[in-house]
Amino acid sequence: MLVQGNQAVFLGAVKAGATFFAGYPISPSSEILVLAAEHAARNSVFKLIQSEDEIGAVNAIMGASLAGAKSFTATSGPGFSLMQEAVGYGHQVEIPTVIVDVQRVGPATGMPTMPAQQDLLQAMHGSSGDYYPLVFYPNSVEECYRYTILAFNAAEESLSPVILLSDAFLGHLIETVDLEAIPVLYPPGIVWHEHNLDLDLVVPGGMAPLEIVSRQRPPLGTGQRAFTGLTHDWRGQQRTADAGVYREWLAGVKKRHQEIAGNYRFYEYIDHPTSDTLLIAFGIVSRVVRPLASRFAIFRPISMAPLLADELREYGRRFKNVVVVEANDGQYAQLVEWALRREVRRVPLLGGRMNIPLIEAELGRMGIGEGLSV
Amino acid sequence: MFKDLLRLELFPTMWCPGCGIGTLMSQVTMVMDELGLDHTNSAVISGIGCTGRMAGYMNLDSVYTLHGRTLPVAEAVKMVQPDLKVIVISGDGDLTSIGGNHLLHTARRNANLTVLCNTNEVYGLTGGHAGPTTPKGAKTISTPEGAAYEPLNLQNLLKGGSTYFYARTTVYHQFHLRRCVKEALAWPGFSFVDITSQCIENYGRRLGFKTGYEMLAWFREKYKMAPDGAESLGPFELGIVRKGQTETKDA
Ligand SMILES: Cc1ncc(C[n+]2csc(CCOP(=O)(O)OP(=O)(O)O)c2C)c(N)n1
Ligand code: SF4
Ligand SMILES: [Mg+2]
Repeated sequence: MLVQGNQAVFLGAVKAGATFFAGYPISPSSEILVLAAEHAARNSVFKLIQSEDEIGAVNAIMGASLAGAKSFTATSGPGFSLMQEAVGYGHQVEIPTVIVDVQRVGPATGMPTMPAQQDLLQAMHGSSGDYYPLVFYPNSVEECYRYTILAFNAAEESLSPVILLSDAFLGHLIETVDLEAIPVLYPPGIVWHEHNLDLDLVVPGGMAPLEIVSRQRPPLGTGQRAFTGLTHDWRGQQRTADAGVYREWLAGVKKRHQEIAGNYRFYEYIDHPTSDTLLIAFGIVSRVVRPLASRFAIFRPISMAPLLADELREYGRRFKNVVVVEANDGQYAQLVEWALRREVRRVPLLGGRMNIPLIEAELGRMGIGEGLSV
Repeated sequence: MFKDLLRLELFPTMWCPGCGIGTLMSQVTMVMDELGLDHTNSAVISGIGCTGRMAGYMNLDSVYTLHGRTLPVAEAVKMVQPDLKVIVISGDGDLTSIGGNHLLHTARRNANLTVLCNTNEVYGLTGGHAGPTTPKGAKTISTPEGAAYEPLNLQNLLKGGSTYFYARTTVYHQFHLRRCVKEALAWPGFSFVDITSQCIENYGRRLGFKTGYEMLAWFREKYKMAPDGAESLGPFELGIVRKGQTETKDA
């Protein structure tokens, strides 16, 4: 059946057990709010707030999560910027939740609503302080569904807000997907509310079924805990002037996030037997460059953060040229350069335009891939 | 015992000697104790500021939110856990300035929450900057010539809808304060208690008060009870105004 990217995100969230959505309208993410509103109207267990602004929305999903609900919000660049303070809050307080950013051209109001990938670094480092977020970026409608479920799982495991990146093209992309057969396993002993979900998606051949990770922490109202954004010790007691407590806490969080991220290292690699060039692209741009696989090897990170540094090194060192094609001015390229410790070439696709001739022209100017025929 | 609601092991608190927040906390916990509200049926959501720290001293699940964000957190908690008594306790700067937009809209949505606003007329924690509740002319560290603008009229702001609960009281008028909190907790919708208290260190001293007690004495002198059944509270009048005790979405 035909499903839209944003719709697949919503369906994935419900499949993962989400029962709370808060949001503020912004293109190109608004379909998710509308779907949530329709769903809430039909299912009393699913709660929705159309918030007064994105700050309200993101703080509402934090509260809902503490109260025991799997929660999420969806927005685009300007709204994502407004949400940043709460992202750090979620990391400090250890709140599992999911934030979907359907990117458009910025900064500011920018080009509503041309697609972009300009919120990549914001997704990694947009809030104050040090924190170690998990960020995923699918590239198809089916993957929007799959990685939304995985984002919810990663949130539960890491006890933190997980960011799912999308973009205006991907969010509005409509693809035919077989909705019957993705096996999704619920943990035993969990009672799932009837959501009247009439859609389901398929795992491509050979992939393991998605196992839903359930909530571990008892909900608010069942204990005597102080959830605080202040640096605190294990009892929740504030420790705002103790470097030792802070360092121990941060090291613990970092280690836990690294371990958990180890189970969420997703990428795709398409080899090329003779090419001396590796193209790196992700999200919707990886779909655009896909036909160039006949001439170049392609690496596609799906897990954007933490950086797939080992994989980038493993594949990057095999090639003379490494070219990062992305819809921003080199945000991922600079990370790849850091990982490889050498210069990489950049093809920035700016202003919402992305197509093969544009990319080929850029590669041609660099003298890459000449003489090879498609 | 109301003391069971407090984490006495964390005492003494971080509040300055003579501050009104301690009084507020003991009065609120007394009311909660009287009503049987504790960690099995209630949660406290607080914001950032001296007042916000109250949550951490209370012996139940509490959330110390970001500055200004108590209401979105609290509204969501109440939606997910409708049987939980959700009490918001925060400073006037937190609730009415940085959180002002949430205040407007959470009140408009009539979320079933009780909001206890500690109105010390200043940003206490940051050192005594003027805020939206600072009276015109008051000298603070950010208004050396006296605050230039009229303060927010919270009563009028909150009386905009077809249903509302607004109470004004002070930490000097303890019996009245307890009554206001009790009635607010019983109100099946959005209830707001505007509680004037003293910030002696970062406000009162600059206004010429020498001790917290002097400020309390001033509250006693200045604030008067509104006549019974008043539909509107005049300046320095204490009382409760409410309308339309209708069913709320999660009552
Ligand atoms: C986003 C943000 N801006 C500013 C601050 C600094 N800050 C901490 S408390 C506070 C004001 C508190 O005033 P109020 O809410 O009246 O509480 P009080 O200390 O008076 O009880 C400010 C501005 C902050 N923590 N976060
Ligand atoms: S600064 Fe003011 S409000 Fe804060 S604890 Fe001291 S007296 Fe109380
Ligand atoms: Mg104040």
